[in-house]
Amino acid sequence: MDKVLVIGRDSVPDRIVLGGGENLSLTLAVLPGTDCDLSLEIDLDAPGASLDLAGIFVCRGSENVSINVNVRHNSGSCISTQLFKGIAGGKARARFNGLIYVAPDSQKTKAYQQCHTILLDGDAVVEARPQLEIYADDVECSHGATSGYLNEDERFYMQSRGIPVQDARRLQMISFLSAVASRLPEELRQQIYDSLS
Amino acid sequence: MAIFAIDMDELLKDLAAQQEYKQGFVTEVEQEFVPKGLNPDIIRTISRIKEEPSWLLQFRLDAFEKWQRMTPPAWGHLEMPEIDYQDIIYYAAPKRNQDRPKEIDPALMETFDKLGIPLREREVLAGVKDRSDVAVDAVFDSVSVTTTFRKTLSEKGIIFCSFSEAVREHPDLVRKYLSSVVPAGDNYFAALNSAVFSDGSFCYIPKGVVCPMELSSYFRINASGTGQFERTLIIADEGSRLSYMEGCTAPMRDENQLHAAVVEIVVEKDADVKYSTVQNWYPGDAQGRGGILNLVTKRGICKGSGSHLSWTQVETGSAITWKYPSTILLGDNSSSEFYSVAMTNNYQQADTGTKMIHIGRNTRSRIISKGISAGHSQNSYRGLVRMNPGAANSRNYSQCDSLLIGSQCGAHTFPVIHNSCPSAMVEHEATTSKISEDQLFYCNQRGIPGEDAVGLIVNGYAKEVLQRLPMEFAVEAQKLLSVSLEGAVG
Repeated sequence: MDKVLVIGRDSVPDRIVLGGGENLSLTLAVLPGTDCDLSLEIDLDAPGASLDLAGIFVCRGSENVSINVNVRHNSGSCISTQLFKGIAGGKARARFNGLIYVAPDSQKTKAYQQCHTILLDGDAVVEARPQLEIYADDVECSHGATSGYLNEDERFYMQSRGIPVQDARRLQMISFLSAVASRLPEELRQQIYDSLS
Repeated sequence: MAIFAIDMDELLKDLAAQQEYKQGFVTEVEQEFVPKGLNPDIIRTISRIKEEPSWLLQFRLDAFEKWQRMTPPAWGHLEMPEIDYQDIIYYAAPKRNQDRPKEIDPALMETFDKLGIPLREREVLAGVKDRSDVAVDAVFDSVSVTTTFRKTLSEKGIIFCSFSEAVREHPDLVRKYLSSVVPAGDNYFAALNSAVFSDGSFCYIPKGVVCPMELSSYFRINASGTGQFERTLIIADEGSRLSYMEGCTAPMRDENQLHAAVVEIVVEKDADVKYSTVQNWYPGDAQGRGGILNLVTKRGICKGSGSHLSWTQVETGSAITWKYPSTILLGDNSSSEFYSVAMTNNYQQADTGTKMIHIGRNTRSRIISKGISAGHSQNSYRGLVRMNPGAANSRNYSQCDSLLIGSQCGAHTFPVIHNSCPSAMVEHEATTSKISEDQLFYCNQRGIPGEDAVGLIVNGYAKEVLQRLPMEFAVEAQKLLSVSLEGAVG
């Protein structure tokens, strides 16, 4: 299964259950101008299940984006990875709330989660709550979250090579988002990139 | 000991029996109490015993009113027993000898001696002991027994005394700074403390003074059925420097005892404060009976530009720890750090972490948290990093690692990042894992038996934090970690 869901266009299930040996690769996209309050629960219920989840959001107006993801490792020997990338500007509010839950005795679990955001303007707010709740010991779990800005040195490098500042900024944003954007169909990806100007 | 095939359950059983809490004795000393319960009359009684001015009584009563309207926080990842606030004695003090009211009861002297807390200045001055650079404020239940080196310190203009004395002798300072960092209604337990606080330490470092020795507070709970509600206020004036240490222990009892403290730290321009805690309250027995409920509010404010506040904590004790030493970075270019090792074993629960509130420009903060859970314990990191719109060019880096020892415990991480400043940068990372078999095998094959190997690995894991502690504390903390680990590992 390889799925792309555009929030606001496609219906997103509240809960997904993965059985033994099932693999799910899912990408969530929140396009500019979309308000959303998304909550998604994913259960890995039998050994060998694996989840590869990614999300992208671009909100540069006055959007209110809230993404809540709850990944539950109810069984051992499952793998989950999550990668979220987002850009917030204007007066947008973006909120990411992600929990990795590892049930007692879910040994040999591997779970990773990353959430990275870029804040463009002073009136925008980004909030990230990456959470780990772990009740088994033989596990490898990690999460990382960052919130920052577009690097000035990078922009200077491009400008000194004749790339106008606006284009340089756009390139920076594209490269930041590309890890998730590359999972999207061409048309959708282009739509997001076009909005970055 | 079998070197390769270590039977976890066997070892657990063997070692649980050996676990010791050396500080668990009770001192037989005559004490006076106020009656059980909590109401305005009790608060008036406490205030009267302490001969407080009317503004302070009013402060207490206002706080009590606020507290009555509040509900206990339920957001912690903790299974908190119901606390009956009417079943607690809010003030207990060892009786003074009527004939010689200035002298310290020898039984108390002996207690602190046994705990390794030097209260005898003379010995130190006469060169009997090697190290002389710690001044101690020793608090026994609800009163401060003594504060050492006051003279030496006052020569430099430093005020270091019990809170009650500060209220009497430096009322202006106390009035100016009390509840300026932690308002009376800040949270449920801070409100409770503001209403009934008994004693604690007060410290003022004047402008430009570098404190010549470590200052420390030692808190001892002794009486049964009581709670301890200490209040500490530290003020570091412009350009001053201070290293402060805090330690605590309590007797072994089957009942839970409440410890709800408030610590406030004010750091003025270019001042530097380092606050270290080794928390070793009685953690309860291997079945989770008894132990201290450690519900404290600690907060500092970096008020002036260039000020610096560093928190270091080693948390090994308490049945329940609910504690978030925080810093408000108000001054431009101010910085703060939080280094923590939280170790839980048996049925202990810890929900601890920090808050870094960036308000000023170019402010910096760093969070290093190392959690270790063993037995049936639950250990959570909870933190907030907040970048306000004005915190231009501010930075935070957080790292939270958890180590799990045994399959019955839990390790949790609940950070919150709130960024509303487009030139601020926040980074957070967390990992959870166990001690790998490869690490153990490596030690084992070099002749280091199971338990020692785990101790070694845990100490290495916590080293980044331990090395921040002042010398006196670092050794103790390392020992504590290995004692706390006893019975946890194979």
